Amino acid sequence: MGLVRRDAPPPEETAAPPTTGTLMRQLDDADPDCRREAALGLGGVAEAVPALLRRIAVETEPLVRDAVLTTLAAHDTAKVADGLGGHLASDDAGLRTAAAEALATMPVSVPAIIPGLLTDPDHDVRVMTAMVLADLPHPESQAWLAQMIAEDAHPNVVTAAIDALLPSLGPEHHDLLRAAVQRFPDDPFLRFTVEAALR
Amino acid sequence: MTDKRPKVLVVDDAATVRLYHRTLLDNAGFEVAEAANGLEAVEAALSTAFDLFVIDVNMPKMDGYACVETLRSETVGTPAPVLMISTEDRPGDADRAYAAGANLYLVKPVDAERLARVARMLTAGIAA
Amino acid sequence: MTSAATAGAGLSEADFEKFREYFYKRTGIQFTAAKRYFVDKRIDACIRDSPYDTFTSWFAALRLNDRPELLQELINQLTVNETYFLREDYQFDSMLRTVLPDVLAMRGGPNRIVGPVKILSLPCSTGEEPYSIGLRLLEEWDLIDRVDVEIHGADIDSEVLLRARHASYGERSLQRVPAKWRAKYFTSVGTGRYQLDEGIRGAVTLHQVNVCDTLAMRAFREFDVIFCRNVLIYFDELSSRRAAENLYGAMRPGGYLFLGHSESMSRISPIFTPTRLPEGIVYQRPIGANR
Repeated sequence: MGLVRRDAPPPEETAAPPTTGTLMRQLDDADPDCRREAALGLGGVAEAVPALLRRIAVETEPLVRDAVLTTLAAHDTAKVADGLGGHLASDDAGLRTAAAEALATMPVSVPAIIPGLLTDPDHDVRVMTAMVLADLPHPESQAWLAQMIAEDAHPNVVTAAIDALLPSLGPEHHDLLRAAVQRFPDDPFLRFTVEAALR
Repeated sequence: MTDKRPKVLVVDDAATVRLYHRTLLDNAGFEVAEAANGLEAVEAALSTAFDLFVIDVNMPKMDGYACVETLRSETVGTPAPVLMISTEDRPGDADRAYAAGANLYLVKPVDAERLARVARMLTAGIAA
Repeated sequence: MTSAATAGAGLSEADFEKFREYFYKRTGIQFTAAKRYFVDKRIDACIRDSPYDTFTSWFAALRLNDRPELLQELINQLTVNETYFLREDYQFDSMLRTVLPDVLAMRGGPNRIVGPVKILSLPCSTGEEPYSIGLRLLEEWDLIDRVDVEIHGADIDSEVLLRARHASYGERSLQRVPAKWRAKYFTSVGTGRYQLDEGIRGAVTLHQVNVCDTLAMRAFREFDVIFCRNVLIYFDELSSRRAAENLYGAMRPGGYLFLGHSESMSRISPIFTPTRLPEGIVYQRPIGANR
């Protein structure tokens, strides 16, 4: 009893890691822990991307969904951006916000899908797009947000874009903000936000 | 107001929304604290007994519905009223909010008078 | 609202607010208005050491994440990065008073527990943390004679692991160790250095591992308690998420995770359940597969 030392490597350390094929099959296992570990184990494996994208579309267990997205976001390729971009319209709030978070970490491939998202007919998708741009480390993020503030027809999209632009707001944006209030004079939150930002 | 102002936690990832709701609720006689996502709200609720929660839907790390479910679960177990305020206005959203344990679901924007009225209604009898 | 504050001139109110929001979002660390002067000074130092002349240009580069060293330097400036024996000791209080009794209860009680209680210190740096855990267990845990405890330390840096293995420390590192413990467990090895007794040194297993490496972290399993303090704040979004996932995989269901006192999981990952203990918030791997 007391402090004991263990030098022998645990069995897991000596066991050969599962193959990509095994892990891809385990993405559909009935046990969520097994699916979660499989998703993490597929980190960096490009051939697993389609299977991971198929999984994220049907996965309902938040723990597994987070693991799949952690692995997918690291790929930052057009295929992943397209696949996750579609989930910004999801009725599942957990999925659409988690997809937005993942997209915000993909500065290489996300810019290509932004023009399409900015003109999406669903204003809820455009609100989610502002959430992506808020954190996307890309030199054009500010310009896209400014475009949303200047042009979007829905006040909730405009206020989401103003919030996202706030950390990089400069005097050059002041006219843009004043014009937004002119376009939506009846929105109390938009007026308050712009007044606070201009103060 | 006396010094026993009811405590409200404003939960929203947008700093502008937190400031707006903070200002309105402060004027309406509440003591206001903020959290920037659902998880932060859960951690705050573990340390402080709030009298009211005002919660957004779309937030990173933990969305509003999952946040309300966790607040109602044995992890926190708060009986305090929850007001959800969302940009979403599609059918079924309000039902999801109520199923998660929210007391009221409103769609943005919510003006000052309405927010104050609703917040007082939900906390009627709690304090001051 | 001016954004053109130059280094040394202090920040405008608006710039300070932007910075505060950014740093909070990025690291989960919040500064109160009372810390304003301290934060201003440290930001000035960061800008001076960077290739940028103004807060605006420095902050823009920081947010674009083009130069990871800017963030690293900023975090170094704004946090205490020293390691010493019994640092943030209240978390060890928490482990002894609340966490270990609960771990034993989950595992059938002190008489029926099968296998050792496993504790991991990651990153363990030069060893102060895992050895502090050992000292406190031996000196203050009344069940240590009835229960096996395995302590593991892990770090990415092989250099610090060598020093941890050697386990000799200077006065500064030992300042919080009670004289009685020092006399009992440390031997003077000259020039103000004291080496930890082989009994504890030899009982702690040290490993080199990168916490973000999922394959390497598969070797870590079934830990009851993990201390992972003051390291996740240095990671970018995806790395901190992967590290959190790997720590989760290393824990037993119901196991406890301690982060540094200014850190929070709420900016990293929702996979753990926060739990309030008298000494503060800890995180647990949920017991069921379903949250």
